[in-house]
Amino acid sequence: MSNQESKRTEQKPFRPFLELVKVEGKLALREPTGIAFGVGLPVILLIIFGSVPAFGKTLPGTTFTLFDVYIPILMVTVLIMIGLLGLPIPVVRDREIGWLRRISTTPMAPSRLLAAQVTINLILAAVGFVILGAGSILIFGVKIMFEIPGFVLSIVLATAAMFSLGLLIAAIAPSQGAAGGMATAFLYPLLFFAGVYVPTQVLPSSLQKISSLTPVGAAVKALNSSMSGSFPSLVPLLVMAAYTAFFSFIAVRYFRWE
Amino acid sequence: MGFLARSYASHKNYILKSAEGSVMCAQSVTELTNRKYVVTVDHLRKQYGLTVAVDDVSFSIAEGEIFGIIGPNGAGKTTTVECISGLRTPDSGSATVFGLSPKNDREEIRKCVGVQLQESSLPPRLKVSEAIELFASFYRNSVDSKTLLKSLGIYEKRNSQFKQLSGGQKQKLSIALALIGSPKMAILDELTTGLDPDARREVWELIERVRGNGVTIVLVTHYMDEAERLCDHVALINHGRVVALGTPAALAANEGDGVCMQFLPSGPFDDRILTSLPGVTAVEYRGNLIVVTGSGDLTTRVLYALLQVGIKVSEIQVKSSSLEDAFVRLTNTGDTKTGEVSK
Repeated sequence: MSNQESKRTEQKPFRPFLELVKVEGKLALREPTGIAFGVGLPVILLIIFGSVPAFGKTLPGTTFTLFDVYIPILMVTVLIMIGLLGLPIPVVRDREIGWLRRISTTPMAPSRLLAAQVTINLILAAVGFVILGAGSILIFGVKIMFEIPGFVLSIVLATAAMFSLGLLIAAIAPSQGAAGGMATAFLYPLLFFAGVYVPTQVLPSSLQKISSLTPVGAAVKALNSSMSGSFPSLVPLLVMAAYTAFFSFIAVRYFRWE
Repeated sequence: MGFLARSYASHKNYILKSAEGSVMCAQSVTELTNRKYVVTVDHLRKQYGLTVAVDDVSFSIAEGEIFGIIGPNGAGKTTTVECISGLRTPDSGSATVFGLSPKNDREEIRKCVGVQLQESSLPPRLKVSEAIELFASFYRNSVDSKTLLKSLGIYEKRNSQFKQLSGGQKQKLSIALALIGSPKMAILDELTTGLDPDARREVWELIERVRGNGVTIVLVTHYMDEAERLCDHVALINHGRVVALGTPAALAANEGDGVCMQFLPSGPFDDRILTSLPGVTAVEYRGNLIVVTGSGDLTTRVLYALLQVGIKVSEIQVKSSSLEDAFVRLTNTGDTKTGEVSK
């Protein structure tokens, strides 16, 4: 369209990607399933648990309260919700309606759309963590003794494990309905093994062992250690790393762009 | 390959020439005109499992023309353009786009080819202005989005979400997205499907304006009136093969039911004057009127032949067959033997 007014923009390689993140971010705000479940639900649970007097009592034989026990569990809940809903549902939708394919006809690589979704959900997870952490410390007066390197490592591995699970669902679910079904199938076992219903500490030892071999149980364990002043033991870290590798391998192997 | 050649003479000229022989000869004669081909498709073949989507497709598209790919549903039209745009890799044969290979130079081709896909939708809550600005950011030279949306008549809808748009508005937005990057070529698949007659006309006018700016247009359609109205050349694809190639008028004249001419002669004459003419298939009497059917440039020849024997004619009516007639005839025979138009 040579005689129409042409806008010559200097090509900064990152600008289109940022534009994509901005647009997909706006879409996430307009259809806030991921936000409601990923941040809303854990925050509501935090407020409820923080307001129940029984949760504030020091547990017999320990120095911590039930509320303290729940903080890493709620952090992992953020990751479960984002991994099962926030990340895969929009990716599957974009593929199902042909938006991924439409993008792939432009100079923008469709993999960038995936990267944009990961970016948005990382931001969402970070917001969830900050609200949970700041809320419990500032409002409910919880004392957290961060073992910084261990905490960072735990949170990174936990995020990697749940995000790769999200990408796995996005890879193999043929439709939004199927992705929703898979998410529901994973949701209850993961919430259970993370200790949302009852903290894993009160489970029989056989179930505790199974829990510690799930990505979410391992995440809670590692976060628990690193938030009470000690570097987490190697096993939960390795469990999370192994799940990340396994989920990512399948996701990459089976991901379809259309 | 005679059938790859193109005539750039006007449609009328083209028919006159083709009357001398087959379409192929006419094309060879006018091949002399130097036009630059921007797309060359050579013996393209693509199979999905056991289904052969494209069997053997070859054609060339000249710079600045509107090239139509027509054919029934499932003929292989979409797969063909997907191979051109680099969305699919052909099993064999090749395509060249602006001298580039869609297989190896996908990125370069994407910068200069805009694509509007069939059955491709946008996220339901995405706003028109967001979609257009997003796509504009993907290209180095984007056209002004306001001008583009205005020319498509959807500027006032810029703050609406995709799901709130009517079918026609969605289609127009999709076209806008194919044109925002000021492409050298635009591939438009099922351009006006689902549009009401007014909207179709508007879109057609837009396409003609875009072509007027030098953009080559590849149109995939199963609407023959659309191809007849817009296309300089069409390739008719059936069962994965090109069954006819040429200008819409030539296809209609040569492959349709031909031309039907009716007139009142000034006096009696011998039938054989007409039946012996090349291209005449039947001469009938309807009262005082004579009806001649045939193909090619029937009118000129009939009038000339009658003039030679001193017969004058009046009340002439000529009805030439449409592209649709040709389409129906060519796709119903199941004849997929060659990519050549033969008589």
